[in-house]
Amino acid sequence: MNGRRWLILAAAAVAVVQIGFLVSMIAGRAAVLRSGQEVVLQVEPVDPRDLLRGDYVTLAYNISRLPVGLFPDRQEEGAQGEGGRTVFVRLKAGEDGVFRPVAARFGQRPEPAAAEGEVDMRGATRSRWSASTQFVSVRYGIERFYVPEGEGREIESDLRERAFRMKVAVGRDGAAQIKSFHDGETMLYAEPLY
Amino acid sequence: MASYATKVKHDIARWREAGLIDDATAGSLSLDVERNAGGQVSFGTVLAMMAAALFSAAILIFVAANWEDFPRLARVGMLFAIILGGYVGGAALKLSGREAAGEAAWIVAAAAFGASIALIAQIYHMSGDEAQAVFVWGAGTALAAAALRSGPLTAGAVLLAGAWMLMRTSSAWWLAGPPLPWLAVAAALYALSFWTRSLLARHLLLLSLYLFVALAYFADESSFAAPLALAAAAALLFAFGRLRPAEAGRLLGLGQELPAQALAGFLAGVGIVQAALVDEPGFVFPTILAFAGIVAALLLEGHDSRALRWFAYAAFAFHLCFLYVVMLGSMMDTAGFFLLAGLSLSALAFLISRFERRIAAAGPANGGSAA
Repeated sequence: MNGRRWLILAAAAVAVVQIGFLVSMIAGRAAVLRSGQEVVLQVEPVDPRDLLRGDYVTLAYNISRLPVGLFPDRQEEGAQGEGGRTVFVRLKAGEDGVFRPVAARFGQRPEPAAAEGEVDMRGATRSRWSASTQFVSVRYGIERFYVPEGEGREIESDLRERAFRMKVAVGRDGAAQIKSFHDGETMLYAEPLY
Repeated sequence: MASYATKVKHDIARWREAGLIDDATAGSLSLDVERNAGGQVSFGTVLAMMAAALFSAAILIFVAANWEDFPRLARVGMLFAIILGGYVGGAALKLSGREAAGEAAWIVAAAAFGASIALIAQIYHMSGDEAQAVFVWGAGTALAAAALRSGPLTAGAVLLAGAWMLMRTSSAWWLAGPPLPWLAVAAALYALSFWTRSLLARHLLLLSLYLFVALAYFADESSFAAPLALAAAAALLFAFGRLRPAEAGRLLGLGQELPAQALAGFLAGVGIVQAALVDEPGFVFPTILAFAGIVAALLLEGHDSRALRWFAYAAFAFHLCFLYVVMLGSMMDTAGFFLLAGLSLSALAFLISRFERRIAAAGPANGGSAA
């Protein structure tokens, strides 16, 4: 009979471990939404052919392509390895409320530490540098906006006509999380915690 | 087919109850039957697994549809309930003797775990690392396989590891080459497959390895070291299985399909070289090697393994066509191809039937019928 109880216990333990992992995923995201620093980014349309794939809209931001000059003396470092290296991008609000990149660094936060009104966001490069590289593409994990089945086309066509903004929460480790989606002054969508 | 194992197990239980054998003997006999019946799958198991695959697809598509009328916390809760119910319910089904249904429930639970990761990514609009999400899904599945000692979950983890390898390879804008950590993952899963007694998982791992070598070669194309090493290792595997069958069985656990698997690895390695040299004069060397490998495998092990025989015939026919397209395709017109193909297929059919008759005349060999 011990073997029988063992199997049920093992099955329950597996379920608890997997569900526990999923709950921690949710909790981590909710924590960023609750207490992360807020930044506002300008949404830029992507190549229209790639814009819509299935049930999400692909987005780019005003910080998705960084001029090489933002990386002080890091050109050699950028040429190392392949894409996918961690970068920290320092953002600062402009007069219109949209945050813009002011500095960037591989692997760690730019020096000196972020001043009042500045936020460091974590991302990953998409490709290796070469001598002729002028812009570095960076992904922050906020490049998708999921919509109910069939509603993507509408947003897609609007995106090409008007300027949209995204309010993003940044966690203490620099992770970015979509908070709300704005069409001019109207809020299209706000992220509840859960 | 599988009813053999079930029947023997019933008989063992009956003998034990009748006092013909003691508990220890009954236990070791059952274990032996289980170990050696690995390759056989019953119709009921197939149906249960297909049902599990359909349920899993339904769950994943349900998440993808992002149905608004149903609050998302309820969707998360529903998936959590499937995870808990699938694992615990599967364990209960297994204990009541319904093996296939229990394994199927576990597969559904593991799929619900993956669907939950996708759903959470959807809720929080997370983008980027899909490969990592698949890796986590595979790790969770492997954990479940180890804890529940489940063969089908092990095979599922192997497939997810393969998907992870493919996604990592193609995630960049260029072909980056497969991730080396996959080799460590594969070794760990191979070890796990002994604990979970999954012959299928081991064969799937070896097939993924061939894919790994091919991706590694085509990402770089500078040296034939990897494909040639694969072909050499496969030849060694074949020799090991032939000269030391007992040790090979114990250490590698590939069952009666070992020679066929070794030939597949050999042809995969040589085939990469062939594909690379297609328009060059050097093409003839790997081609000769491939034919030599097929014939050698057929002569050495063809008698004992029907799986190997049919695989070798298929590979032989494929190579004939391949050779024709490469060598003569530019010279002859379509009619000529059909004429030649017809002639070669007749010749092939004649040779195969003669070979099969000779084997039949030599009498049924060990394992010859169980492929």
